[in-house]
Amino acid sequence: MFFRILKKDLKRKRTMNFILLLFIILATTFLASSVSNMMAVTGAVDYFIGISKVPDYFTIALTDGTEDTIADYLESNREVAEYEVVDTFNVTDDRISILEAADEKADKYERTNTLVIQAMPENFMKAFDREGKPIHLKNGEIAFSKVEAEENHLVVGDRVSIRVGEIEQEFTIAAITKDVVFGSPMMGIKRLLITEEDYKKFAKQENLTHTNIYCVNYADEEAFKADWKKQDFNLITNIEKNLVSMCYVMDMLIAGILIIVSICLILIAFLVLRFTIVFTLQEDYKEIGIMKAIGMREAGIRGIYMIKYFGISILGAVVGLICSFPFGEMLLGQAIVNLVVENAKENYLVHVLCAAGIVGIVLAFCYSSTRKLRRFSAIDAIRNGSTGERYQVKNSLKLWKRKRMKPHFYMACNDILSAPKRFVVLMITFCIGTMLILLPLSALHTLKSDGIISQFSMSPSDVYIDMGHGDAYVAGKKVEVIQADLNELEETMREHGVEAETGADVGYLIPCYASDPEELYNYMTLQEIGSWDRSYDLLDGREPVLANELMITEITAEEMGVSIGDSVYFQYPDGVEEFVITGTFESMMNMGNGYRVSRAANLREEYMSGVFVLQAEVADMESGEAYERIKDIFPNYKIMNAQECIDGMIGDITKQMDMLIYAITGIVLVINSLITVLMMKTMMTKERGDIALLKSIGLRNRSLRSWQMSRILLLLVAAILLGTLLSKLLGPVTVGQVFAMMGAAKIKLRVNPVEAYLIYPLLLLAVTGVSAFLCAGGVNNVDVKEVNVE
Amino acid sequence: MNSLVVKDLCKTYVINKRQNNVLRNVNLEIKEGEMVAIMGPSGSGKSTLLYAVSGMDAPTAGKVSFFGRDISSLNASEMSDVRLDEMGFIFQQMYMLKNLSIYDNIILPAYQSKHGKGRERRAKINCRAKELMQKLGISEIAENDINEVSGGQLQRACICRSLINHPRMIFADEPTGALNQQNSREVMRELNRINAEGTTVMLVTHDMKVAAKTDRVLYIEDGNIKGEYTFGKFTSEEETKERERQISAWLMEMGF
Repeated sequence: MFFRILKKDLKRKRTMNFILLLFIILATTFLASSVSNMMAVTGAVDYFIGISKVPDYFTIALTDGTEDTIADYLESNREVAEYEVVDTFNVTDDRISILEAADEKADKYERTNTLVIQAMPENFMKAFDREGKPIHLKNGEIAFSKVEAEENHLVVGDRVSIRVGEIEQEFTIAAITKDVVFGSPMMGIKRLLITEEDYKKFAKQENLTHTNIYCVNYADEEAFKADWKKQDFNLITNIEKNLVSMCYVMDMLIAGILIIVSICLILIAFLVLRFTIVFTLQEDYKEIGIMKAIGMREAGIRGIYMIKYFGISILGAVVGLICSFPFGEMLLGQAIVNLVVENAKENYLVHVLCAAGIVGIVLAFCYSSTRKLRRFSAIDAIRNGSTGERYQVKNSLKLWKRKRMKPHFYMACNDILSAPKRFVVLMITFCIGTMLILLPLSALHTLKSDGIISQFSMSPSDVYIDMGHGDAYVAGKKVEVIQADLNELEETMREHGVEAETGADVGYLIPCYASDPEELYNYMTLQEIGSWDRSYDLLDGREPVLANELMITEITAEEMGVSIGDSVYFQYPDGVEEFVITGTFESMMNMGNGYRVSRAANLREEYMSGVFVLQAEVADMESGEAYERIKDIFPNYKIMNAQECIDGMIGDITKQMDMLIYAITGIVLVINSLITVLMMKTMMTKERGDIALLKSIGLRNRSLRSWQMSRILLLLVAAILLGTLLSKLLGPVTVGQVFAMMGAAKIKLRVNPVEAYLIYPLLLLAVTGVSAFLCAGGVNNVDVKEVNVE
Repeated sequence: MNSLVVKDLCKTYVINKRQNNVLRNVNLEIKEGEMVAIMGPSGSGKSTLLYAVSGMDAPTAGKVSFFGRDISSLNASEMSDVRLDEMGFIFQQMYMLKNLSIYDNIILPAYQSKHGKGRERRAKINCRAKELMQKLGISEIAENDINEVSGGQLQRACICRSLINHPRMIFADEPTGALNQQNSREVMRELNRINAEGTTVMLVTHDMKVAAKTDRVLYIEDGNIKGEYTFGKFTSEEETKERERQISAWLMEMGF
């Protein structure tokens, strides 16, 4: 009899059982893929650093390839456990020609940054292909940096030619790299990799500019660092292993968003499961009551349901488990494009455990829901768990008080207000979906906002110019070279009838301390040069004016333990120079660290580390017009607007975020539609009697559809409003924290109101509305006779 | 004028590949203002007949004319309009929407109708609803939930709902089937009053006391009308006993 009841139940309630099965599949897919992704993403940077073999410390210096004092120093230093000098040589745009490319846009090669060519690394700082697999090159093959490839519209299979000195060789692009240090958008040097044999052909020539990378693993970290500070090497930059992860702060922003998405999906999975089980069991109350009434034991009754739910949950968990692999990989692949993450398949145990967890949760929910039945008498259960006693009016919404409201709209409002618990899952799902779109959108809009350039220690200008002389500035260590370029720019523009002021921020890397000369900080000091005189954003105090004044970022001030009015000291081998702090500012350059001195300050040119970009402010012209005009005047220079300049600094993070937001929007729309359809189906199955009754008193199918749809749309509108409000409130503690990590703790998050408050909400309403409309068509299938089938 | 004319009405269900002819060539006429009861043994097709002639269920064959209109030719929307504006339904189980108060359940069809739009019209509807509830003695339960009132009160609320749009005909499926004797008497008193005001009533019942208060009784067996017994108008409670005796004898004659 036990199995006959079970068999009959499965057959008769196949709609509800099928819906339950779908929800379990959905929950398993979400849970398994989200937990696995969270694990992969949380340790993604460390994992990438680990498998790439980033040394404890590395420094980069320009050499002529003849003598190497740094290598000699490292060789003789006892605090060094292991080191390697990685030789590279620099190439300029005109050394690379595109021979054959799939994309028609690929034409003249333009490098994005300082570009070096290196033999495939064997020990330190290995590179991987886009799938995260090791790269094996053959002679005549080259592995391209992603940034360089994208900028020049190159893909795997395209052919390029490299001519350096007397040697010219053709290469086929065999891979686009994921490169932990040089692939980071924050790193100013990009590298192309070729085989050792091909490399030697080029490198043996004289008169090449070499950039050497010195990779060091410490024997004694403290002792090495103390001794290193005393050396006076001519370095471009030096980086500690733990700082590499900071290069990926933008990717961490995306990883952070992915974690939020995952948490939300898990939350949705649990809510949906609980709702479905409670809802389907309520459907069975009547039958449970009848079984009780005829004397069946509680254990027996519960056994029927436990076996039924166990069977459905096993089936759902297995299907969900299978779906979770492609779903998780799709989500991860959309989000993490610069990092190598652990393959989801390697996390299969996590997926299996999550699926098992879902089975356990389903059974636990089932057990606790059926346990409630003990409290009910047989007749209470028959009354669907209602005792028939209610002493409070359910709600204050009365139809007779509505002078204009359409009845179907009233019924929708009334349903929500009188049984809000029923709709809470939908409401939370919609609300989470809205937040999932709006939070990353605020990060994107902030990065795209006009004022963002000020957050990068720069004064906004009409155009930003890269003449391609960056290497020369660093090698020459002469401010007058930069000034000459600025003068040339102004002169040429004047010749073309464009009056403009020009300027640039020259960066210096001078060791600095506050009170303890042993505790040195090596952050960038900026100084404005050029014909213009700009003011810079401050958080507090005033800009430096005198030769011995500077302003400092809040992060550096905090780290050094200084404030406005205190002094800091620039340490040179032959003495120190004192500077008084006049103000504080914040910057996303150099992870929020740095100083700015006045034009009057005399900084030593040998400490110059370069200029990121030259700037021009055109008189009597709008920025857009000036941009186009200057592009025409200087066809050989890289002319950028503010956004392109930012992209140059932080990589194509805005494009990446655009893609991620599209992916999230797609996922949210699918989830909204799926949950809407499943919930509506569930509710309509329970409401067939009501629908039939309303048909019997003359309500048209159109009105009934509107009733069903109105509920969903009302919830959606409320959820969008709530989600928007919560996004506004939670923005500073979520997205704002990522900006704070980058040095902009006080940044104001911006949103484009048309996009955030109109386009996306309308998109959500349209897609979810269409799903609700299609699903509400199910009322047509309810026969008016079903009024007798409650 | 006839309220309802049914010609050669058939209804067949196919269950487990077996054909079940529930109604077989039923023919009947109900005049405007008449009150007719359908009686017969269980499974004879009483409720099926009621649902088929009221447009709640599509007949397999035959024609149903409701106040001169062939309802079997109406589409779903037109049928909804007829149900909303010209028919009233009363069910044995007193179905009402659980989320609405008794009062809101009653006025819902009126607000939904094309006459229910606008402030003034809705004010009139509210007046009518209050008047109906007062007439049926359920004014005090207007704001109650449906599970806070007795079966008799709930059935009277259902009658109010069925009358709110001034229907031309009421269809009632065992309207007293779930009620005790006292509640049953009250409900029938209301149906007689409505009928006396000119509304045609067709009801299905097992109860001879109920049938005794109608003008005419149709006896249905095996999906066909086997006979009819005409009393004429019910005027006072005193007639009930005698009518009951007559109908009992007739039903015995019919083999009930």
